[in-house]
Amino acid sequence: MKLKNISVASYLTLIYLFFYIPIGVLIIYSFNQAQYSLLWHGFSWRWYQELFADQSLWLAVWHSLVLGILSSSLATMVGLFAAVCLYRYRFFGRQLLYGVLFILILSPEIVMGIALLILFSLIKMPLGFISLLMAHTTFCIPFVAVTAYSRLVSVDKYIFEAAKDLGANDWMTLTSIILPLLWPALLAGWLLSFTLSIDDVMISYFVVGPEFEILPLKIYSMVRVGIKPEINALCTVLFFITLSCIVMYQLLLRKKT
Amino acid sequence: MKKYFFLLFGLFFCVSAQAADNILNLYSWSDVIPQSVIQQFEKETGIKVHYSTYDRNEVLYAKLRANSRVGYDVIEPSSYFVDKMRKQGMLEALDKSKISNWHFLNPVLLNPPYDPKNIYSIPYFWGVTGMFVNTHYHPANSIKKWADLWSDKYKDQLLFLDDAREAFSVGLLSLGYKINDENPAHIQQAFLQLKKILPNVKVFSSDTTVSIMIDEDAALGLSWNCDAERAKRENPQISFVYPQEGFVIWVDSFAIAKDAPHKENAYQFLNFLLRPEIAKQASLYSTYATGNLAAQKLLPENIKNDPRIYPTAAYLRKGSFQTDPSEATLALYEKYWEELKMGG
Repeated sequence: MKLKNISVASYLTLIYLFFYIPIGVLIIYSFNQAQYSLLWHGFSWRWYQELFADQSLWLAVWHSLVLGILSSSLATMVGLFAAVCLYRYRFFGRQLLYGVLFILILSPEIVMGIALLILFSLIKMPLGFISLLMAHTTFCIPFVAVTAYSRLVSVDKYIFEAAKDLGANDWMTLTSIILPLLWPALLAGWLLSFTLSIDDVMISYFVVGPEFEILPLKIYSMVRVGIKPEINALCTVLFFITLSCIVMYQLLLRKKT
Repeated sequence: MKKYFFLLFGLFFCVSAQAADNILNLYSWSDVIPQSVIQQFEKETGIKVHYSTYDRNEVLYAKLRANSRVGYDVIEPSSYFVDKMRKQGMLEALDKSKISNWHFLNPVLLNPPYDPKNIYSIPYFWGVTGMFVNTHYHPANSIKKWADLWSDKYKDQLLFLDDAREAFSVGLLSLGYKINDENPAHIQQAFLQLKKILPNVKVFSSDTTVSIMIDEDAALGLSWNCDAERAKRENPQISFVYPQEGFVIWVDSFAIAKDAPHKENAYQFLNFLLRPEIAKQASLYSTYATGNLAAQKLLPENIKNDPRIYPTAAYLRKGSFQTDPSEATLALYEKYWEELKMGG
């Protein structure tokens, strides 16, 4: 019994080390005094000072955040309705439509990127914020739809019939039954979409225009001339923001119960 | 629920409301123009600058090729990409009467073979590809020629640039050929020559060369002169050498895209960039040598008099510019380069 515990513990330790060592290294390097060297040259706040003074970087961060929030919200709305339609209405080709969602999830990003670029130039749509928003919303929708659908399937379907029996119309069913039941799945879908949107390089590269630079593309373009430790500092800040969000969420949850 | 909708709409509008008429879309290599320069331009002219960056010429080329009306005004292709893009009609012929600061440019960089008469491009930053040696391991005068790198004593010590064009230039030069030689037999000889250097190569890289030099992961090898200078700031043992057989001079030029939507603003910006004071700031920020002679004179003594950044005329005569090779030559480079990278 004890042996089993030890092996489980060491297995988990290994997995977590594998996850967090790279992030740990990144955080350590954000305090390294040297600009290019990958050896330790002493502790310094220099990169954090430069980070907070770098306006163009913050503009890219702001653009990415706005894009992430808008596209994941849009995708959540559209995805929710898609899931509800697929679940509640029986029509010809329903299975096919559901399968097509997975094709979008599985198809390589480069296909989607080029396809969207061709579409946008065909309809003469200028590349920029709107084209990025449409692209990001598009690739996020299937993720939301699939998470929401799988949650819907697990709900007792008599609830909907009962609601109808008691005189609820479609809108009331949606707002007072489906939404309260589905919100954990929607939240998960939203977060998933937000994460996908924030770090997408491939599709964004094809549909980005000159007036709206976003963070992942900016970082990517720095690779050749050397990623400044400033970026390490930025990643560290983002990591700790995420961490504090999770801690806060857990604390709030604990209070409620 | 409604509250959230309003919030989203608010976000949407504060982004789309930014769109102004008087704008300039700048697309350049990353980290070449400091924010202060952009802000000064915006303040003086009232033109809003949208600045995006790329990390290799291919990205710029592909982006403009896929959709020429994508909207970039001022772009920054390097030497042989100017050649490629002008031949394909992707660049605007410059109206020099709108660039009054043109006369500040260094005559050495004008009329290059990749753009005779500089109809399309303004040479702005430049440098050379040479060799570096860490004097802690080998004396500074131990390498003078490219051919010296083939010596047995440097087994497993070299840093080699991960760039087919640069590598073949070294191969061709060490054999006494020119860098733009397109004779397949000569290129094959260069390939066989490069194959012989493989046991000496410790690492192929062109992204992290500066850290490799500073952290002494390679004792000597190929290097761009600006990178060697950057490395020297954190490791004084690094020394840069001009190879006797000759070397590549690379130039990053500013140009206007063919379908640029804001051409007048682009001219204003280019003229602004050519102001000596502005060119000096850009050069200090990017650490590349400036193509602006008046700006060069404004630089601190230790930089403008450093022959490793600004080589003397005698050295410069040995340098040459890259032009755009034919499709067949490119295919040949690619084929041999793959073979080399797989270990010959």
